[in-house]
Amino acid sequence: MSSAGWRPDVTTLPLPVIERRRHAGLPKAVTSHMSGGRDLWSAPLEEAPDDRVQGTWDLLQEVLDPEIPISLPELGLIYGVDFEDGVARIDLTFTATACPCMEFIREDITDRLESEYWIDRVELVEVWDPPWTSDRITPEGREKLKKLGVSA
Amino acid sequence: MSETLDTSTLEGANRDALVRLIISLADSKRLMGIRYSDWTLGAPSIETGVSTASMTQDEWGHARLLYAMLKQLGIDPSPVEHDRPGEEFASLSALDHERGDWVGTVALIALADEALSTMLRSFAEGSFEVARTRVPKMLAEEEFHASLGAAWYRRLAAAEGEAAGLLRSATEEMLPGLLAWAGANDAAARAMVDAGVIGPAEDRLSAFRDAVRDLVALVGMDINTVEPATDWDEVRGRASGRPDEEACERARGDRNRALLVE
Repeated sequence: MSSAGWRPDVTTLPLPVIERRRHAGLPKAVTSHMSGGRDLWSAPLEEAPDDRVQGTWDLLQEVLDPEIPISLPELGLIYGVDFEDGVARIDLTFTATACPCMEFIREDITDRLESEYWIDRVELVEVWDPPWTSDRITPEGREKLKKLGVSA
Repeated sequence: MSETLDTSTLEGANRDALVRLIISLADSKRLMGIRYSDWTLGAPSIETGVSTASMTQDEWGHARLLYAMLKQLGIDPSPVEHDRPGEEFASLSALDHERGDWVGTVALIALADEALSTMLRSFAEGSFEVARTRVPKMLAEEEFHASLGAAWYRRLAAAEGEAAGLLRSATEEMLPGLLAWAGANDAAARAMVDAGVIGPAEDRLSAFRDAVRDLVALVGMDINTVEPATDWDEVRGRASGRPDEEACERARGDRNRALLVE
């Protein structure tokens, strides 16, 4: 087909006028996307573990980093786990202060843990001390990365 | 290391001084990110453009963590970030205007970012607990900025043509404001020193001079002979002036207000 004389068949639409104030036109809170590691999650446990802290750590092993296909504990992002009265408290860091996957990670942790009947609520505490470096990747995580051809 | 500051008892001028320090650092980081972002598609090489994109991301991450420190003082950071007029911005004067050429941007990376790191090192070693725990990660990320800035500064200083002269001009223009800011010694700054939040002015000033001495010598300048600017604004803790309005609109996110998320 000759391009001569061709005109795009489009309709010109005016841009929406957005009121210049906060949250105009959108819900107050917009939840972000979810990462792709969810298909690796196992079904919720039928019985609560005796050791809830260790049980929580085990669940976190199923939550993968959205960019690097190893778990958050293997990547060294989980600095601590506590459990009391149905509340799982997770001390969490990120690889960078402006990690673009922060929301993915927070949502994935919360969704995986709260799928368990014995976890009523997840409390995420963002920590930056000590600063994360690749030295925090566990030997298991390092081995997996090696198999994937990723140096760390 | 100083004893931990009890922010619950901090009031009056001391509290205002800490707020001023946090906002000046945070505003500077946000503006620095904007100035870097202008070069993500216009730097002299693709690799450098990618670096400026990465540094932009870092600076805005640092700004986010710094503004959030205001929560420790019972202040909601959101209006500070999104609803202030440009004349209240407390960012470094070196960031007030877009650098029209890459040479000026290199001076920003090598000198202005270093002034911020000088203050952050002092902040990280002080009595404000949140700074002790958050700032080391920022400083670790800043090491890459310093490497890139120094490499480009050396390259331009040794280049033939007008590059070295332009670099010297940018350096001469920028240094007095940076020295005044890094070595701030007005009543609010002294209050922070007395509270152990940051180190003494002479220590900060000499640390900054030491950090940039060898670089500026490459364009024929002796850092010891450069005097700090005297047009100081005690309310904001920076030299007089303000960032251009377009930068303030970008910093506040005026065009993205419909997309703001909590």
